[in-house]
Amino acid sequence: MPETTDQRLLAEAESSWLQTRGRKILLVDDERLNRSILRKILEPEGYVLEEADSAEAALAQYDSFAPDLVLFDVLLPGMNGFDACRELHRRYGEQAATVVFITAKQDSGAIVEGFNAGGVDYVLKPFRQKEVVARIHTHLQIRLLFAHQLTLVTQLSRANAAKTRFLSMAAHDLRNPLATIRGLSEFLLDGTVGPLTPEQAELVELIHNTSQGMVTLVNDLLDLATIESGEFKLDSAPTRLADLVGQSVNLTAMASTRKRTRIEFERGPDAPLIRVDATKARQVIDNLLSNAVKYSPPGSTIRVALEVGTNSQILRVFDQGPGIPEQERDRLFTDFGRLSTRTTGGEQSIGLGLAICRKIVESHHGTIEAVNQLDGGCEFCVTFPNLIT
Amino acid sequence: MNLFEKALIVDDEYHIRKYMGLVLRSMGVTTICEASNGAEGVVAYLSEQPDLVLLDVNMPVMDGIEALLEIRSLNAEASIVMLTSIATRNTIEQAVDGGALHYIRKDTPRDELIALLSGLLMEKNQAVS
Repeated sequence: MPETTDQRLLAEAESSWLQTRGRKILLVDDERLNRSILRKILEPEGYVLEEADSAEAALAQYDSFAPDLVLFDVLLPGMNGFDACRELHRRYGEQAATVVFITAKQDSGAIVEGFNAGGVDYVLKPFRQKEVVARIHTHLQIRLLFAHQLTLVTQLSRANAAKTRFLSMAAHDLRNPLATIRGLSEFLLDGTVGPLTPEQAELVELIHNTSQGMVTLVNDLLDLATIESGEFKLDSAPTRLADLVGQSVNLTAMASTRKRTRIEFERGPDAPLIRVDATKARQVIDNLLSNAVKYSPPGSTIRVALEVGTNSQILRVFDQGPGIPEQERDRLFTDFGRLSTRTTGGEQSIGLGLAICRKIVESHHGTIEAVNQLDGGCEFCVTFPNLIT
Repeated sequence: MNLFEKALIVDDEYHIRKYMGLVLRSMGVTTICEASNGAEGVVAYLSEQPDLVLLDVNMPVMDGIEALLEIRSLNAEASIVMLTSIATRNTIEQAVDGGALHYIRKDTPRDELIALLSGLLMEKNQAVS
């Protein structure tokens, strides 16, 4: 049976991070005796060792040796071990080798300064062999494990990016044929190519509605893929929000005549222009309105209001649906977070719309929230801040 | 009077040619010619002398932008509308710089598509007459 990727990664992780033999350690101490004791302790463990008798010498040979761990004596002639450790971190940042200090006495002040300087541990003179070996081994393992985690994270984000690219390509290739099916069924329905029997018309209408649902789905997937791939960019310009809402209200009202849904729009006083990406803001408004229609019973009235705040403009959409079940509230704005609530006219939903809305609103530094109204129904509230961006 | 009686649709996908043909016919275009890549499109343009060309961007052999430039070099007044799957800024700029009347996404809903194309043709009609 072939191994799964998970099993392979796990096996790799175990074999590599358990193995500290062959790792490189730089011993920095001005006393040759200390260095040779440490060499005797560490060499049998299979480490590759180099020695330096000053911080300056250690820094000079650091690049060519590229150690995994540096054992720094604190009191050195010239630069001391703490400053040398700080210098290593200044030069190499997170890539710097792990630093363990060598201190002669249990001096808690020096120990704390060592940690502050970026060291991870200390060993005391006189050296106790088993303790030194155990501490070094542990810190090398932590280092290897950390490096391995980084590799895994990189691999995972690459895999995730590949998945997003695949999603985007698949959705792209589906979109045009679906749009053709939708358009052709419209030509059949309106009799352009000849009359249909009532049963044929019913079937063609089903084809039309289904393809329309799929076009919406594919567009949502594309939006999500764009957002996930980090290619999502706003194209903001001064916009009259009321105009966007007006267009959306008209379009949604037309599309919902069959459900006899009324949409009331309180335009409010003339608001100043606001910087938004008009296409994407419109997408948010369309989505909230079509959701309101979807989840309100036929014959409902949906109220839309636009308010001007001190530093923002606020859109409110009130529906007459069942509201949001309290225990499902945290799923509302998440990917595929469709709730148990059902649409009232057989409309389709895959639960991406609000997740996309949230991402669009948040990229405008705005907020989106939903509150159940006391007398039933739900209020969605979107705040677009005035930004000089 | 409709000055757009004959149209040429250039797209490598049959379903798009068929669908766009219906769209144009419903707008009163009487003769529809088809070509399935840019090179065939240029040849068809010469032999058919259509009043309007719908031109896909991504096609084998010769892509739509090349074909656009080729046709416009044959006739600087040619009315060409680009069809795109994905309207990147780059494509739009190339299309506009190349002299296309407009660019239209293929998944545009039918009624919007008809309204857009009718608007463009009306403008062009007025400009000519």
